[in-house]
Amino acid sequence: ELPPSQFPASRASAVALGYLCYLRGGPGRGLQLRELRRARRQDIDDVGHKYYLELELEDVLDKARTVSCTAEVLYHLGSKTSAPDVQVTVQGELRSTEEADQEFYNWIRSLEKELVAENIPDSHGNVPPELEPIHLLAWVASGYLIWQNSTENTKFHLAQVKHVKQVKRSDEDLQFDYVVLLHEMVSQEVLPWQVTLLWHPQRGARVSQ
Amino acid sequence: LQVDLWQPSSPFHIVEGAVADARVPQNTTRSLLPFLQQENIQYTVLISDLQQAIENQTGGRSHRNRRSLSGYNYEVYHSLEEIEDWMYYLNRTYSDLVHMFSVGKSYEGRPLYVLKLGKRSRPYKKAVWIDCGIHAREWIGPAFCQWFVKEALQTYQTDPDMRKMLTQLYFYIMPVFNVDGYHFSWTHDRFWRKTRSKNMRFHCHGVDANRNWKVKWCDEGASLHPCDDTYCGPFPESEPEVKAVAHFLRKHRKQIKAYLSFHAYAQMLLYPYSYKYATIPNFNCVESAAYNAVNALQSAYGVRYRYGPASSTLYVSSGSSMDWAYKNGIPYAFAFELRDTGHFGFLLPEMLIKPTCTETMLAVKNITLHLLKKCH
Repeated sequence: ELPPSQFPASRASAVALGYLCYLRGGPGRGLQLRELRRARRQDIDDVGHKYYLELELEDVLDKARTVSCTAEVLYHLGSKTSAPDVQVTVQGELRSTEEADQEFYNWIRSLEKELVAENIPDSHGNVPPELEPIHLLAWVASGYLIWQNSTENTKFHLAQVKHVKQVKRSDEDLQFDYVVLLHEMVSQEVLPWQVTLLWHPQRGARVSQ
Repeated sequence: LQVDLWQPSSPFHIVEGAVADARVPQNTTRSLLPFLQQENIQYTVLISDLQQAIENQTGGRSHRNRRSLSGYNYEVYHSLEEIEDWMYYLNRTYSDLVHMFSVGKSYEGRPLYVLKLGKRSRPYKKAVWIDCGIHAREWIGPAFCQWFVKEALQTYQTDPDMRKMLTQLYFYIMPVFNVDGYHFSWTHDRFWRKTRSKNMRFHCHGVDANRNWKVKWCDEGASLHPCDDTYCGPFPESEPEVKAVAHFLRKHRKQIKAYLSFHAYAQMLLYPYSYKYATIPNFNCVESAAYNAVNALQSAYGVRYRYGPASSTLYVSSGSSMDWAYKNGIPYAFAFELRDTGHFGFLLPEMLIKPTCTETMLAVKNITLHLLKKCH
């Protein structure tokens, strides 16, 4: 059993949240951690450390809405190149974003010139309302990076979207080429990462390799 | 009828077929436009309200330079110059409660200003030290220090707790500890953390001002590499900012009973040790102070802070100001990590300054009043 106030469980929570943001986030949905309720750690010989977490999450766009979930995060022993294995189960329903997603999709598809933006939020924390969906999609992309690159000795957060460029495609997906700044809490470094995100209102998001 | 000609540079260049741009006062348009129509001169209104356009450009910060306590906008981030002007203003205007002085100079030669707050009610008073902005990019820190001063001066007459605090104690407030770094985060790199000292061998600048103190210096949780963000420096107190404040705190160690340092972000209230996993001797007093402070903070908007020893709550780090202050005999040494928990991180929006500062005030007042009740 682990005290939720201490950092090992909180680092595992960040991984679980990153994974969930990648899987379930979108231009109309961002999730953040309200509270870590319970945490357990299991040391598995020759495999690694497995964390069992009970989380309460809140919807970024509707702070009054919370949802509970359980997560398992397995950090592999010694392996620096292998991402943690994560499983997340959401209890209950996440608010539907179908309408907002479709609206966003139609708006981007209707643009004559490909969307370009930088510094989201700006130095003073401002995000222009029309760019909020782009910001939330950056969270989706960052969620992937955070999940793939975390260890028990790191804790990543998206610090800022440095640059984003939409790339028009011949298929139905939207493509955004991001340069995001990720803040790593333990080393305190803020470093740029390039990531390309594909998104479709029905099919969801995926990071393009 | 007089116009302010913006284009071309002189009336001599106005010829038939050329374009001219002019600014006129609002009321003049009533006579100018009919005249142009009459003379068959084509015109377009490019900007209908210049004042509004300028205000939109500078955002809601057009009042930030106004010299008055109520005129100063505490809900926006201020540049170093603005903060210094503000301190000068308070020093002149509230001389019975505020005394501004400098503890030294930064690497780049800037003064290191501190405000001493409190009623000169008796010859010897205990004191609380508060610093903000040890790390340049943590802008909510200096914003809170300014807020604290504002609250002290504005509510000293009406709030019995604040009156008690300022009568029985002095508060040393250092709104911006890392002045060079803070300035750099405004002009060059919003995510700069360290000081701006130059390194002899590498092309990297700066030392982590919270790894440079003489307490288990450069052990775990700090880096010996000058390019790293947790670089401990070539030796303890190598940074003039650290050295100056350490000198001041050493000199006043008998007087100062609490050390509070404000950082961001994580939503935590931390106490020693950072450099090791061990319980401090006065754990009971400090832990109960932290527990009460965090509850007081939560009572404002329901925001939850975690609390505990820094080493187990956040991470192990060595050479921190909090550990040094504690080792130096200050019984209550705390480090706050203010809002949020990562959604905005360092880029906390200005509209969250007020709630963050409001709830944090409750915690700070709580700790101060706990301190006055003598459990050391």
